[in-house]
Amino acid sequence: MKGVLKSLGATANAFVRRPVTRQYPEMHRDLPERDRAFPILLWDDDIDEPYCTGCHACERACPVECMTVLMKDNPNHESVGGDSRRRKIIDKFWIDYARCMRCNICVEVCNFEAIAMNNTWTGHEVSVYDRADLVMDLPQLLAQHRAGELDEWVADI
Amino acid sequence: MTQPPPVLENEFETEDIFVNMGPQHPSTHGVFRMVLTIDGELITDVTPYVGYMHRGAEKLCETMDYRQGIGYMDRTEYLANFNAELSYVMAVERLAELEVPERATWIRMILCELNRLSSHFMFLGAFGTDVGVFGTAFVYGFRNREVIQDLFEEITGDRLMFAYFRAGGLAWEVPDNFETRVREVLKDSREGLRELDGLMTQNEIFRARTEGVGVITAEDAIDWGTSGPTLRASGVPMDIRRDEPYLFYDQVDFDVITGDHGDVFDRFYGRIREASESIKIIEQCLERLEPGPIVPDRLPRMLRTPAGEVYTRTEAPRGEYGIYLVSKGGNRPHRLKIRSACLSNLQALRDMTIGGYVADAVVILGSLDIVLCEVDR
Amino acid sequence: MNVGLFGIENVNIWVDAVIRLQLIVILMTVVVMGLIYGERKIIGRFQRRLGPMRTGPFGILQSLADALKLVGKEDLRPRGADPWVFELAVYFVFVPVFMAFVAVPFAFDWNVRVLELGLFYVVAISSINIVGWVMAGWASDNRYAMLGALRAAAQGISYELPLILSLIAVSMVVSTDAGRGSLDLGVIVAEQGHIPYIVWQPLAFAIFYVAMLAELNRTPFDIPVGESEVVGGPFVEYSGIRWSMFFLAEYAGLFILSLVGAAVFLGGWAWPLGEEVGPVWQLLLTAGKALLLIFSVFWVRVTMPRMRIDQLMGFSWKVLLPMSFALILVNGLILVYDWPDVVLLASNVVGLIALYLIIDRGITRRRVRPPARAGAATTA
Ligand code: SF4
Ligand code: SF4
Repeated sequence: MKGVLKSLGATANAFVRRPVTRQYPEMHRDLPERDRAFPILLWDDDIDEPYCTGCHACERACPVECMTVLMKDNPNHESVGGDSRRRKIIDKFWIDYARCMRCNICVEVCNFEAIAMNNTWTGHEVSVYDRADLVMDLPQLLAQHRAGELDEWVADI
Repeated sequence: MTQPPPVLENEFETEDIFVNMGPQHPSTHGVFRMVLTIDGELITDVTPYVGYMHRGAEKLCETMDYRQGIGYMDRTEYLANFNAELSYVMAVERLAELEVPERATWIRMILCELNRLSSHFMFLGAFGTDVGVFGTAFVYGFRNREVIQDLFEEITGDRLMFAYFRAGGLAWEVPDNFETRVREVLKDSREGLRELDGLMTQNEIFRARTEGVGVITAEDAIDWGTSGPTLRASGVPMDIRRDEPYLFYDQVDFDVITGDHGDVFDRFYGRIREASESIKIIEQCLERLEPGPIVPDRLPRMLRTPAGEVYTRTEAPRGEYGIYLVSKGGNRPHRLKIRSACLSNLQALRDMTIGGYVADAVVILGSLDIVLCEVDR
Repeated sequence: MNVGLFGIENVNIWVDAVIRLQLIVILMTVVVMGLIYGERKIIGRFQRRLGPMRTGPFGILQSLADALKLVGKEDLRPRGADPWVFELAVYFVFVPVFMAFVAVPFAFDWNVRVLELGLFYVVAISSINIVGWVMAGWASDNRYAMLGALRAAAQGISYELPLILSLIAVSMVVSTDAGRGSLDLGVIVAEQGHIPYIVWQPLAFAIFYVAMLAELNRTPFDIPVGESEVVGGPFVEYSGIRWSMFFLAEYAGLFILSLVGAAVFLGGWAWPLGEEVGPVWQLLLTAGKALLLIFSVFWVRVTMPRMRIDQLMGFSWKVLLPMSFALILVNGLILVYDWPDVVLLASNVVGLIALYLIIDRGITRRRVRPPARAGAATTA
């Protein structure tokens, strides 16, 4: 009997304390800066082009093969009168968010720090009605960082 | 064709009935299925079926290099990811003869013990639901686990699929406020343990439901190959952390919790006490934590191992999580086998359940604390 | 024959009955929706959650939304089900609960009908629903449903007895003009103007409370509907409006037993304000006391694990039933020899202590747990 009363006491104790619920869609919890949603590409504001050179390193390292990278000659390269030092640049880039397992490997292997894990709520809230909509193309991948809505976190080892 | 009804002779004849529990049942902890043969409320036979969650994780890992495999370890044991990752990276490290820096080892230990804590919280909650506490234990357990999960997210960036350990060390440095945050979490966890303990342990109804139920003797437990809290509840003080120390477990001081009766209650209470032991271990680790590198000086970009084979095991919250790794050289395993604690523990289910009541089956299954992803891989 | 209704004289007795019953049904539907909302909110607080928050301010409209959703859902019937029994089972659960309201006194002179055997009527009619449960479980062609139904039958019958006996024990000691003893709920309530019967008969109240939890299939006695074992029990195959009617009946049952408990033990509308304060206060009193009981039921629900069927049956037949028989016997002796009321109290307190000791020593300390390993300690 004593134990039963003790149990009742435990719940009563919880009853008088404040609920811990966060009402999600209205109230977003602050995400830690390291939060990993999905990988996105970064935008080089100085030169106004993506950092990504299309080097395929991430594509090869991805465990689930959800990336597709196509490279092209940079039309903005110094040799053709542009102001970029990137000889090659990304042409087309797809990441299938439906397959991505958010392992961070693509970020680790990239030599140009051109890709980062999205650490905003936008990166988490990607529900769609059609799986095909989860295959992100280059403009979609670049959009967020280009608009300056992302403060990417870079791991320091 | 339906079967003809049994012919009633002079005496009133009865028939056992089959009840299909799972794969979609609220208390089979995933897609586990057991077919109960029951005589009234008494169980006369149990046939467990596993494999609904089989994704071929072992085979998948053979197709990818050592770093890529880490993410899959997370997905086999999703309640104790750090422990699963640890077994794997330890196997790779041993094959490649990598030296892990001290700081990385201490951090690994802290994270593994925190993971044990969070896993046990999850168990306490889920077990409460199995015994029939209307969601309360579950919510309490989850809330406490959430605090730990938040910390993990701050460190690794993900709530569940951490992919944080690397062969040789860690993926990146922990945040600056790591120590204070861990201490905060420990404080909260201690409170949470007390809360769950108060809710269940002494409750007479709870004890009546768990004591003397699902008993397995020490000999049987060993025969079935159980490990972890399930084995220790039967009075066998086997704990890989102490018997075959990995990381720096030989440098910290902790008790191996054993039970006397091998019943559901011992398995439950053993976990509560084990969780407090984990808190003790973490505190000792925090004392020893010193700045330093977290990866070896020379780590190749693409890790290659010499040919060979190795078996590493760690004490995961559910028991021995082992990785058997065969390499023929190169950057990926030739063969990988996961020794799943849950699968072995689950073997003992039949022995424990027969002769009990239907309600007991649920409680016993809950007390084994299975993770179906790990059972089926 | 004509009667008066709300101050209108000369209403045909049938018209009157229909109007009153309609009022009850509407009232009950509203009350049940409120109860469901309240339960979810209260349980939420117990679990440090908020409960429903989305529909309407603070989720007030949640029950309404649920009801609408349930009504709009498809009414499924498994192919192997027995069509008539399956469909009729609902009414066997649903109708008796509402019929039971006929005799419940909400305030002085406020009830559908004054029945001299009111208490008897209420418990008799509210035990019919077991038939409905068994019908539902049997007809569903589902093993879980059948297990649940048989559990429900066993449990319902076992706990019916202590429930009734504990109520009878109280009704024996009610003093009326014609001597002692009355089954008229109105009289029982009116008698408690000064001291409610919970003071004189705490043991009866304890038995009643436990049996009430069991009758309502509430934790720790929610074996027939145990979610983690039989997945909702007899109702596992029901959907849509039929399921919602079961649900409605369940909560209506909770309300009615709480009302009966409030009337018989807590003094209903009478204590502590007496007969003259008018129906508003009396209604509030009745509702408040019933809600207090309901709150405690919710509280127990979030706290207690579920008992096992053998423990449950053992508790009823080995503990509660003998206790309630003893209670009746003692009460009878007291009445026959005209001992003062204090003896009532004394005997009950002795009984309560005995009950406590039986639970504590007899039930919880008697389990033997053999060691799992030769040579290990045998202690608990
Ligand atoms: S994101 Fe980095 S690794 Fe991937 S193609 Fe671009 S530059 Fe190469
Ligand atoms: S996070 Fe991992 S799975 Fe996702 S795209 Fe990058 S490498 Fe592939």
